[in-house]
Amino acid sequence: MLVQILNGLVYGGLLYVVSVGLVLIFGLRRIVNFAHGSLFMLGAYVGFSVAAMGGFWGAVLAAAVVLAIVGAVLDVSILQPLQREDPIVTVLVTFGLLLVLEDFAQFVWGKDYLKMPVPAMFAGSVPILGESFPIYRLVVIAVAALVALGLSIWLHFSKIGLYVRASSADPLTTAMQGVNTDRVSVIVVALGAALAGLSGTISAPLLALSPSMGSYILIESFIIVVVGGLGSFVGAFIAAIVIGQLHNFGLVYVPWAATMIPFLLMVVVLIWRPTGIAGSHV
Amino acid sequence: MTDIAGRQPAVTRSAPPRHALAFGGAIAAIGAGAIVAATVPSNLMMTLLTQAVISAILATGVGFLIRQNGVVSFGHAAFYGIACYAIALAMRHGAVQAELAIVLALVLPPALAFLLGLVIVRIPGVAFSMLTLAVGQACYEFAMKARQVTGGEDGFSVSLPPSLFGIPTALFQDPRSMFLVSWSALVLIMLALAVTAASPFGRLTVAIRENEERARFIGYRTTLPRALVLTLSAFVTAIAGVLFTLYNAFVSPDVLHWSQSGSALIMAIIGGPRLIWGPALGAIIFFFAKDLAGDATEHWQGIIGVILIVVMFMLPVGIGGALTRLWQRRRTP
Amino acid sequence: MTEILAIEGTDLTRPFGGFIALKGVDIAVPRGEIRGLIGPNGAGKSTLIDVLSGRASHWSGTVRMFGADIGAMTAQRRRRAGLARSFQRTNIFPDLTVIDQLEIAARAAETPNVDEIMAELNLTALALRRAADISYGDQRRLDLALALIGRPKILLLDEPAAGLSIRESLDLAHGLKDLVARWGVTVLLVEHDMEVVFSICDRITVLHLGAILAEGTPDEIRRIPEVVTAYLGTSV
Repeated sequence: MLVQILNGLVYGGLLYVVSVGLVLIFGLRRIVNFAHGSLFMLGAYVGFSVAAMGGFWGAVLAAAVVLAIVGAVLDVSILQPLQREDPIVTVLVTFGLLLVLEDFAQFVWGKDYLKMPVPAMFAGSVPILGESFPIYRLVVIAVAALVALGLSIWLHFSKIGLYVRASSADPLTTAMQGVNTDRVSVIVVALGAALAGLSGTISAPLLALSPSMGSYILIESFIIVVVGGLGSFVGAFIAAIVIGQLHNFGLVYVPWAATMIPFLLMVVVLIWRPTGIAGSHV
Repeated sequence: MTDIAGRQPAVTRSAPPRHALAFGGAIAAIGAGAIVAATVPSNLMMTLLTQAVISAILATGVGFLIRQNGVVSFGHAAFYGIACYAIALAMRHGAVQAELAIVLALVLPPALAFLLGLVIVRIPGVAFSMLTLAVGQACYEFAMKARQVTGGEDGFSVSLPPSLFGIPTALFQDPRSMFLVSWSALVLIMLALAVTAASPFGRLTVAIRENEERARFIGYRTTLPRALVLTLSAFVTAIAGVLFTLYNAFVSPDVLHWSQSGSALIMAIIGGPRLIWGPALGAIIFFFAKDLAGDATEHWQGIIGVILIVVMFMLPVGIGGALTRLWQRRRTP
Repeated sequence: MTEILAIEGTDLTRPFGGFIALKGVDIAVPRGEIRGLIGPNGAGKSTLIDVLSGRASHWSGTVRMFGADIGAMTAQRRRRAGLARSFQRTNIFPDLTVIDQLEIAARAAETPNVDEIMAELNLTALALRRAADISYGDQRRLDLALALIGRPKILLLDEPAAGLSIRESLDLAHGLKDLVARWGVTVLLVEHDMEVVFSICDRITVLHLGAILAEGTPDEIRRIPEVVTAYLGTSV
């Protein structure tokens, strides 16, 4: 039972780290990045490639840096120029980007499933309450928790973090405060992308790598972000935990319906509160 | 500010009813289709054209939703696929007659769209898009996982009787005759949608799209009209699904995949969603470009992604919209 | 003689985030009257209009229309019942032509008086123009026109003269006075333009920090020291 819950936390943790990047980008730029899942996928692949030579930590670092750069480029070349347009334009452009990145991944790494081994230092299992649990999975939970904590501190105590929170709540007024919006934006989007990439890398030993993993995680993160309330960090955290548990218990008890549960939750939440549980920022 | 739903004024009171012209044009178009079906030598080309036309119908459904409701659906394959599976499953279990299965396939998606619509049309733009992606993919996952019901990942052949509604089924499986059938359906669908768009209902939904709040403050309920637009859009999409199933006599979860929705959406955007015929144009361009890409088709997904990005940056009204503007500029020097 | 009260709000309170936008406001406008609603920015005038028209949420109190409680009615149903409003921030249909949107409004109303309203508000020449393409002043009048279609029984107007020139404002004012006389409509008019307010209003309600500061005829209001110093200045 505990193992089930922990497994749910593992999945929830991965979802949280990738989804919170989406929340960051939405909170600041008021757009939904349809290429976000592809950033996760790139992180996984970059991590996979670097791990062979640079070890696990090298892979994590590489993925974060590469994706941060990709995020910065994304912000400057696409998100900023389109910010005055209807948000749906950015959705469609990032959707186009999703297609390009998926094709790119297929080109570089091929269509076949790739498997990344669990890093040696975290191999093996520990006994927990009589059951054996893989160490690496505990590491994943720890990383997710650290990200949540670190992000929380950053949002509450740093100048940029304060700006992001203010912007999430009221973008118009915040924009008038004289902060260099564009520079902050690059940093925030880069951070959001790096988080997606980080989530991808640490999930690589657990999932099978394929170019389509991006679209799968995209939909999952959409469900999280919508259920938690677009623009809400706390909401995303709660939703990720809930959906992680639902996903896992669903897989065990009702496998054929497991994939429907998060979607049903999304619809139910949207019926009850069209702006999601916590947020009201659409 | 770019508005992919376009910037051309709605039909004004001054324009006289051009119904006669429209009907005449439709008949001429169908006639042209007949000529194409009769004269194009290559069977391969005919097959391509038939597929393009069926996709054009799917794209038209997606485009109509953008035009009238101003929202972008990433999950229309759900309506398409449900129509396909409705026929396929009905035939597989021999529960109903084929004709009834076809009727069911045409009725079920719009009915579901209506019920879903009553709830989701109130959801704002981008969240709506996210929801449609999730809904569409949920249907795909269901088809993949529920093997006993849907046959799972592999899909299965659809056994059709020798005749449907008195018409020999072979007609639906020969590329030439099927092209004509699908083309005629496309023309009639576009005609019907144009008439709807010009009607008071059509204009009301455009007003609601423009300013939902003010529409309520001048006395209109806004949920029902928008749900009806979604219903109509789903109906058109279901027609495409029926034609696809009759033509290919095969169904698999691919018909429900988000890439199916995405392709239809891209066709609509490239062609120009503001025009009733824009998405169909986009579909034709899409198929011919894919054919021309030849060996590069391995990277078709990337190519189409780039095309979408370019169109959004440079030509948001789509190719059809651009052509229309050029035409209008010619007429008013 | 008991007057028939066209629109009546009792003990209207609306909290808004940290502060209270309306604090137990009572307002009653008899049928056929033109009531001015004035006060400094942030006084709660638009909020009051929002509550009366069905746009606001989270409010308490009672709203009555010709004696019937309409508090539970949506804005759409209130409009069908004859309660129309215009907006401070122009709220029109940008992509439709002027005549198209007025006709859509007319189809929802009992009296399709599109031509009459267009003539009244000088919009006839602009009938076929796209609303987004016409001038700001024309758009304000279109916003007002959308409210006037169908001869509603009650008009709640939120700064209809905002952004208009002096000449346009006075034309508007007199046009309104005319309409009221012809249709017998009741008007609650929020305005900053004191020329307009004092020239056409039968009575004036002064709102300040969410509460009623004073209420009376234009002459009475003119003479209240607090109102004069706080808001009117000495030019009126």
